Amino acid sequence: MFDIRTDGKQPIYEQLYNGITGLIASGSLSPGEKLPAVREIAKKLGVNPNTVQKAYGMLEQKGFIYSIPAKGSYVASESEAADALQKESLRKLREALSSANASGISKSDVLRIVNEIWDG
Amino acid sequence: MIEIKDCVMRFDDKNALDGISLTIPEGCAYGLLGSNGAGKSTLLRILSGIYRPTSGEVLIDGETVYNNVKNKKRVFFINDETVQFVNMTLTEMKNYYSRFYDSFSEELFEKLHKAVELPMNKRLSTFSKGMKRQAAVICGIACKTPYLFLDEAFDGLDPTMRIIVKQMLIDAMLDNNLTVIFSSHNLGEIDEFCDRVGLLHSGRVVFNRELDSVKGNIVKLQLAPEKPVSAEDWEGIEILHTETSGSITYLIVKGDRDRIKEKAMNLSPKLYDEIPLSLEEIFIYEMEVLGYDSSKLGE
Repeated sequence: MFDIRTDGKQPIYEQLYNGITGLIASGSLSPGEKLPAVREIAKKLGVNPNTVQKAYGMLEQKGFIYSIPAKGSYVASESEAADALQKESLRKLREALSSANASGISKSDVLRIVNEIWDG
Repeated sequence: MIEIKDCVMRFDDKNALDGISLTIPEGCAYGLLGSNGAGKSTLLRILSGIYRPTSGEVLIDGETVYNNVKNKKRVFFINDETVQFVNMTLTEMKNYYSRFYDSFSEELFEKLHKAVELPMNKRLSTFSKGMKRQAAVICGIACKTPYLFLDEAFDGLDPTMRIIVKQMLIDAMLDNNLTVIFSSHNLGEIDEFCDRVGLLHSGRVVFNRELDSVKGNIVKLQLAPEKPVSAEDWEGIEILHTETSGSITYLIVKGDRDRIKEKAMNLSPKLYDEIPLSLEEIFIYEMEVLGYDSSKLGE
């Protein structure tokens, strides 16, 4: 059973969502692995079960997990999870780039970082 | 579902509730916030059928509660006072409730009682304040009513008990689709556990929304604008609070996130940061707008 810290500022479902996608990205949760039941997470973290359900719903909608009625939720297959992770990364990248743009960072500075990361 | 329509509660010459309309869906954990005297306890007493509202309508699953035994058996109210039970033992208190509530579960009571370890055969007058609350809470949950109202009952429990009670409530929410309303001054607790919150002030509703949308809608901005910020720059966005420190302006703003960002970008700030707020901060800033704030102490 994993642990996710709640910080009181970001909505809890978002923190759960980010926490679980992080665990999938790092491979701590592997494809096909069963996720803890909503009840279990709610009790462990002392949060509302509806909130946990909301996070699971979002994860399912984005393709990170799938659920089987009356059985539970499972991490999606490798290719599906990878696809969802890429989409998530692109979304975050876009956000980071617009705020970099807003704060006046030049395109050449951004491209320099891109080159550093892709080409070592 | 709880439906409150234009509810007024008048005591002598003062309206404790001054035209409240609220809808609370089934299966939710609802946090009722407000300053002292805002009307929270009055509202919970009306919902429990203790008071008959002066005017307006209060319905639980489509029926009134006052003088309606059928609906009274579907709600359980835990408040700060256990006066009527002090001469009883916990066994007697349990028997009293199990006679009234058809849905009372001995099995669940046993299970809950094991978790708290209270003496069954000592008078409640010998219990500490916290123990009395525990007694009321386990009786309330064991009654398995679809509606449970806790009027500051959570606040007097120690951290371990609060976790145990929360776990009991989580089970009840999942197993019986329990709707629970908390009034509490412990906003951290409400923040963690409630999915909807309502703020009352002077007998009126300030807001009644999903907690996530309350949080998504109000944000602290930290920005270093090129020229001083004026109200026209923020057309269509409510500014709750401003503070300047050197070249940095802090603003608490309420409105659509994208629109807030768009307006901020028009100021071509050298620095721009959105900082989410905790429920406690939101409460303080909302109350400040209503003229209820700590700065009055200095006057």
